[in-house]
Amino acid sequence: MKEAHNIYKSKKLVKISLEYDEDSKIINSITITGDFFLYPEETLDELEVNLIGTKLGKDEIKQKIEKCLNDSEAFGFDSESLTDAILGCLKEN
Amino acid sequence: MKERKKKNERETMSFKFSKIRTLETGYNSGPWNMALDEVLMNCINYHSMPILRIYGWRPPTVSIGYFQSMDEEVDIKRCRQMGFDVVRRITGGGAVLHESELTFSFITNVYPKNIMESYNLICDPVVICINKLGFNSKFVPLNDIIVDGKKVSGNAQTRKKGILLQHGTILLNVNLEKMFSVLKVPSEKVKDKMIDDAKERVMGLNKPFDEVAYNLKESFSDKFGAEIVVDNLTTKEEECTKKLTEEKYTSDKWNLKR
Repeated sequence: MKEAHNIYKSKKLVKISLEYDEDSKIINSITITGDFFLYPEETLDELEVNLIGTKLGKDEIKQKIEKCLNDSEAFGFDSESLTDAILGCLKEN
Repeated sequence: MKERKKKNERETMSFKFSKIRTLETGYNSGPWNMALDEVLMNCINYHSMPILRIYGWRPPTVSIGYFQSMDEEVDIKRCRQMGFDVVRRITGGGAVLHESELTFSFITNVYPKNIMESYNLICDPVVICINKLGFNSKFVPLNDIIVDGKKVSGNAQTRKKGILLQHGTILLNVNLEKMFSVLKVPSEKVKDKMIDDAKERVMGLNKPFDEVAYNLKESFSDKFGAEIVVDNLTTKEEECTKKLTEEKYTSDKWNLKR
């Protein structure tokens, strides 16, 4: 398992802490923090749980995010920038 | 765009309340302040009038947004040394040092469903208040009020079970050196730059708390055509707040959640 972190400046600051399998690039755990707004707030917990087991690929991640954020409203990031924030962890390492 | 703006104005103007329950709860600790906001949100029901709460913080408190990491954002050890409280809010947004400011909460079960519109609606009386004090302020979406390009009020909202809570600050004085001494920054060099940048972006009104409080009550009354009903906390509200302070807002489980 490999740990990675990324700080991404979208309209707000989005910080990602990630643990993933280096060979398969599958997410083992993820924490998303920052000064953004998300309504309802519980969506973020659901998103973090749903991202576990997802491959770190643009399409896979973005699809999961879009599905989770479908009934919510985010201010400070969108599915595109959050995907970039997560995948940015790979560049950091 | 123009049409949409007009529609927003029409919708936000149409919200009227006959009465607003007004609570001036004085200066209290960070955990107690956040517990009371949650209790008031839970106590309001379909028949209740909206609540305007006006308050301050003693000791000074660093609050962080619901989604922030306490460990990443706040120098907890330094806060303890300085006698400051730390607490996580139930609302999003950034870390704030609450010291020389007036804080208000507005809790209502009648509000625009559109989030931007609801911020606009509740920030409007705050803009009116600041302008009554002699400034030329304006609302800047999503959640700020500025004077001469500088932020004088930040706001954050949550909605739970059909109840909206918005709490906001009205900055009276700003001590950015102190603020950045309790927030974690990448390096000392960056800290100086952040302080300089923030000085360009934030300002206090330099008005007494009571004068701002008086004008804020008047402005909410004007905006919503409402009678201000000055009230005290009920025994039940006080008891619930004490319990929630002890069980949630002083706990690591909540404050260090992320």
